[in-house]
Amino acid sequence: MPRIPVDKLEPGMKLKKPVMRGSMVLLGEGTELNDNWIQKIKDMEIGSVYIDGPSQMSVPKDEMMAQLDKRFRNVADKPYMSVIKKLVQEHIEDLYE
Amino acid sequence: MNSMDAKFLRSKVENISALPTIPSVLKHISSIIEKPDISLNEISDFISSDLALTTKILKMINSAVYGFPGRISSVSHATVLLGLNVIKGLLIGASVFELMQQSMQGLWEHSFDCAITSKLIAQRKNLKEPEEIYAAGLLHDIGKVILILEFPEEYQKAIHDATQQGITIFESEQNQFVENHANVGSWLAEKWRFPNNLTEAIKYHHAPHRSKYAPMETAVVHLADILVRARGFGFAGDPFVPAIEPAAFELLNLTESDIKEILREMDNSLEITEELSL
Repeated sequence: MPRIPVDKLEPGMKLKKPVMRGSMVLLGEGTELNDNWIQKIKDMEIGSVYIDGPSQMSVPKDEMMAQLDKRFRNVADKPYMSVIKKLVQEHIEDLYE
Repeated sequence: MNSMDAKFLRSKVENISALPTIPSVLKHISSIIEKPDISLNEISDFISSDLALTTKILKMINSAVYGFPGRISSVSHATVLLGLNVIKGLLIGASVFELMQQSMQGLWEHSFDCAITSKLIAQRKNLKEPEEIYAAGLLHDIGKVILILEFPEEYQKAIHDATQQGITIFESEQNQFVENHANVGSWLAEKWRFPNNLTEAIKYHHAPHRSKYAPMETAVVHLADILVRARGFGFAGDPFVPAIEPAAFELLNLTESDIKEILREMDNSLEITEELSL
């Protein structure tokens, strides 16, 4: 579920999560964006919104995980570092879903 | 350089206005914020007299208080809301932004992400003054900027050695300068009359157990630094995640789900980083 910066939005994209301001729903989940809605979102100074569709991570997952291993290579056996590594690993997994 | 004497280094850094490599804008800001009796009004007037600076500061402020209802559009409103110390911190942050970008690719991103992450952790721990902790996160590596500006060749060697030898930049600096960026940063923080909690968070972000006045704030910046590196955001001089200090981790007492939530919030804050291209 990618989070797309507002200037990259295109008509036809569908909202995966509602656009909120505080507790008020401005655009509901599943709304198909058109130029009008995109302009509205821009006017509201919202940075980015969740869009339905496959993740658009720029680095392939395997490479991302290999880099993670590299970054942790000096500290993997230090106290609590395996927990931190596991949590970051799970977090990155989620980003690719 | 190995024989570089720590005292000599300190006197050089403290006399920042005499350092030829420091741009005049930072010297000027430094001379203003080190005044013992500087008032909020004076700072606010100084910022407002420079349109480019005002724009930068307002962007920083709005990122520091992200979540505050409505945008802050005037410097005087911000100074009242955030207080002198935060404004001083953000002023330095905004004025070293370009220096960071020029001196080390990725250091600004690292610093900015640490600021955001420090604030996220502080909020999760319900600490007072999360914006002050934001400022501490923003400036925790300011010592690196000064070392790079003053000793560019030696610092490049420190970066090179860190990657080659598989050590952290902190250790590599220590080999190269007999001092490290955390101490160098704290000398400046003292000179700029930052409060103890900010100064200690800068000084001890690699050894939070040594903090006397602000162990919690220091532990927050320590963990933020580690999480930002663990996530792979920015570059701070070496490609490795430093080890967490167990006592600091225990002091923070965060659950696994707290940390996952913080990681999620970090990713969500990314777009603000892009927006903040100052």
